[in-house]
Amino acid sequence: MSDDLRGLNDLDRLIHEPARLLIVTILSTVESADFLFLQRETGLTKGNLSAHLSKLEDAGYIKIEKTFKGKLPLTVCKLTAKGQKAYAGYRQQIQAFMDKTG
Amino acid sequence: MKDETSQIEQRVKRYWYTDGIGELMGGGMFLLLGLYFSAQQYLGDQSFVGGLLQSGFVVIFIGGVFLGRWLVNVLKARVTYPRTGYVEYRANTGNTILMRVLAAVVAMTVAMASIFVARKFDMIDAIVAVSGVIVAIILIVKQGWSFGVGRFYFLSAASLVFGGILSVSGFARGYNLGMFYGLMGIAFAVSGGLTLKRYLRENPLPAESANE
Repeated sequence: MSDDLRGLNDLDRLIHEPARLLIVTILSTVESADFLFLQRETGLTKGNLSAHLSKLEDAGYIKIEKTFKGKLPLTVCKLTAKGQKAYAGYRQQIQAFMDKTG
Repeated sequence: MKDETSQIEQRVKRYWYTDGIGELMGGGMFLLLGLYFSAQQYLGDQSFVGGLLQSGFVVIFIGGVFLGRWLVNVLKARVTYPRTGYVEYRANTGNTILMRVLAAVVAMTVAMASIFVARKFDMIDAIVAVSGVIVAIILIVKQGWSFGVGRFYFLSAASLVFGGILSVSGFARGYNLGMFYGLMGIAFAVSGGLTLKRYLRENPLPAESANE
């Protein structure tokens, strides 16, 4: 295996999973977003999205808060500093791999 | 990956404009300005109410902006968030603020140049023409920031057309400005109303909340 390909072994697999990568990418562009918005943007089912959010929350990458906007109950998700760092690192690794392999 | 990330970012930013509520409020603000200038022209500077209106312009304008923002938030909480979800956007970065300052400088330069040319040739009602150009520039810049919301181009073109036609209409300046902002208010209201109608049709209220 070449060094270029071996670099992929170090990727953060929690973020590398496509659905979670999409969730983290969306959350990286906003301050916070609620469950319904993430569900619509990712196209995941409620159960699937809940499972992925739980994994990201357990890793400390996102923070989930139950809150209200007016009288509307919301489940709001926010990328933590740890999550932002992990996502930035992941992007750097992918970019470096793409640069090397052209 | 950079392209895909940027596409997601653009889609998320476009979401703010998806319901047309912001444009409806913008239309309301323009109509308020239209009424203000028309009333001022009708009442004149000498009357008590006319003088009051003139001195209270800043209060009316800033009050309108705050009321508009509050109404947008209330309407989005009632209409948009239960249907398609809630997003809180990040505060403006240094780059965005710099872009806005630059856009304001460009708009002011165009305005000053237009006034200079208009005065020199004494041909047109410079203020209404300049208003048309400034509003058009702001809308084009806004279109750029909103990442491809095409209807801002139409509103921008409408601003140039209304400003151009009214500048040579021969009406008194107050009525000219009143009509310009009134027409822009109607254009915004129509654009926002049609967008909201389509949004409501495409996004019925879910039977139960998806917020788990």
